[in-house]
Amino acid sequence: MVYWSLKTLLSEPMRLIVSALAVAVSFILVTFFGAVFEGESDQMVAYLEEMEADVWVMQKGVSNMHMASSMVWDWKADKIAELPGVKEVAAILYLNGPVKVGGKDWFSYIIGLSPDHARAGPWAMAQGKSIPESGEVVIPKVISQLTGARLGDEITMIDRPLRIVGLSKGTFSMASSVVFVARDDLGDLLEASDQYSYIMVYAQPGVSSQALVDEIKNQIDKINALTNEEFIESDWQLAVQMGAEIIRMMTVLGTMLATLIVAFTAYSLIARKKQELAVAKALGFGNGHIYIAALCQSIVITVLGLLLALIISFTLLAWLPEFAPQINLSIRLHQFIPVAALALPVAMLASLGAARTVAKVDPMSVFHS
Amino acid sequence: MSEVILQARNLSKHFGSGDSVVKAVDDVSLQIKQGEMVLIMGPSGSGKTTLLSMLGALLTPTSGQIVVDNADVSVMNETSLAALRAQKIGFVFQAFNLLEALTVEENILFPAQLNAGGVEAAKDRIDDLLERLGLTVRRKVLPGTLSGGEKQRVAIARALINQPPIILADEPTGNLDSHKGQEVMMILHDIARDDGCAVLMVTHDPRVEEVADRVLWLEDGALRDRKSEQHSWVIDPVCGMRVDEWTATITTDYQDEKIVFCSNRCLSRFNEKPEKYAGKLK
Repeated sequence: MVYWSLKTLLSEPMRLIVSALAVAVSFILVTFFGAVFEGESDQMVAYLEEMEADVWVMQKGVSNMHMASSMVWDWKADKIAELPGVKEVAAILYLNGPVKVGGKDWFSYIIGLSPDHARAGPWAMAQGKSIPESGEVVIPKVISQLTGARLGDEITMIDRPLRIVGLSKGTFSMASSVVFVARDDLGDLLEASDQYSYIMVYAQPGVSSQALVDEIKNQIDKINALTNEEFIESDWQLAVQMGAEIIRMMTVLGTMLATLIVAFTAYSLIARKKQELAVAKALGFGNGHIYIAALCQSIVITVLGLLLALIISFTLLAWLPEFAPQINLSIRLHQFIPVAALALPVAMLASLGAARTVAKVDPMSVFHS
Repeated sequence: MSEVILQARNLSKHFGSGDSVVKAVDDVSLQIKQGEMVLIMGPSGSGKTTLLSMLGALLTPTSGQIVVDNADVSVMNETSLAALRAQKIGFVFQAFNLLEALTVEENILFPAQLNAGGVEAAKDRIDDLLERLGLTVRRKVLPGTLSGGEKQRVAIARALINQPPIILADEPTGNLDSHKGQEVMMILHDIARDDGCAVLMVTHDPRVEEVADRVLWLEDGALRDRKSEQHSWVIDPVCGMRVDEWTATITTDYQDEKIVFCSNRCLSRFNEKPEKYAGKLK
């Protein structure tokens, strides 16, 4: 019966391909949402990763940059710089807030930069200068592409106008782009001219990050210090947590869609082959044999759909950034593990409808054709 | 003396209940021996197919007993009935009922999966069957490319692959022209004579009577004696064959006249060009 079911499936290749494509689309939906989500999550920690600090110092009780606020007296940065094992520090003032460009608010990490802490500035430039002075701003190139804003144009940060002097690369995210302004401007806005938000600490060669964290915590009061890895992980987890429910819902919806498509395909195939199944029953095959045949067909369609989803997803990865630069996609093989794990239950669930039809097939109908 | 391979005792099948009960088969008893070719004939709606379905373990009787190769079918569950059908009974249907996606060879081997030894054991027999039924050169083709006669020969080979002691055939010549029908009847006759199979056939085709060992006449669900004067011979206008008008089921009305055919094939040909054949009626 299994051989019959496979040959029957292969005897109508167009129907098989269309069914597998439909299943692939639902799997791609699941994968795509996951990929966008992971891409965005990655981008949300891009600044932290690109700074390559060994230790991050922030206000006591704070352990994130995303959705967080931190204030540390500026003299603490000087004090940290003098600690043994510290090679260099770079401090920023920071605000999580909107920047209006091209009439639209872009929720951003606004980084207030001091000229003497230039290391904390943009890591790749597309155009213009990287360190803004008072009244100036550096925005992501993608925002400029999407809004048509150019160097010299004016944008608004909260309530103050700033002139675009640079376009940075690798700093755009749909959820949180990175925008650089002068520390004086941001300090003025926050009434925190003598404070920083985060202090990046670079260790001397041979000094471990953890040792530096311990030393800083011992020497400086009312601060929190985290190794670079801990800080990035903490922020990434927060981003994932925020989107996890949405992604879970999308996964459930995609899975239900895939199940429905496979179920419909398996059911219609069984329904169309009712007469042949009646013949099989008359010849001595039981419901069990026929149900396994239906299950095989569902599994083939599902696995084929999964393979198509893989191929299409990786093709999209190569193609999409050129046409939609605002979408940060991250497709990794591990994202397919939950989708692949779903495939078998999808196939089995989908077979249930067909099984009902199988049970109803009357072998007597061989006499009425 | 040949052994009785199929036996029915006081077999009845009723549909509905109360005043609307229909006695499709009513208190039928019969015995079929090995090597015997038996026909079940009778008017339309007389219960022939219902009787065949019960004897083939496809339909549960309302009452009575069926014994196949010394096994009481009435006490078997669904699984045992399926196994019995796979091993003891070969079916040949009017509509051939071949599996479209499988080749001739695969169709024939299809029921062998259910037999002891499986497909591998049956492969030894398939060459003989293909040769015997003249299908050797067609073994790798799909049923869609076969003629009606070839399809029915494939169906017969499929019925024989598990070497069952009983062949049940439902109108096996109904979709064939007279020549192909004759060919199929002779094959079934040879199966009974040479292989010792019991062949039980439902048919309207009076030509088969000549090669059958016995004819069972079913009327209103019960077996009756048939008198020779109950024949009403007319001529099929397409093939010119003699057909019993009284039992024929393949008919059409043309210019207020009932026309009787030996097969659906002849009916189809008539419908294509009725004016061509209408002249032959006069």
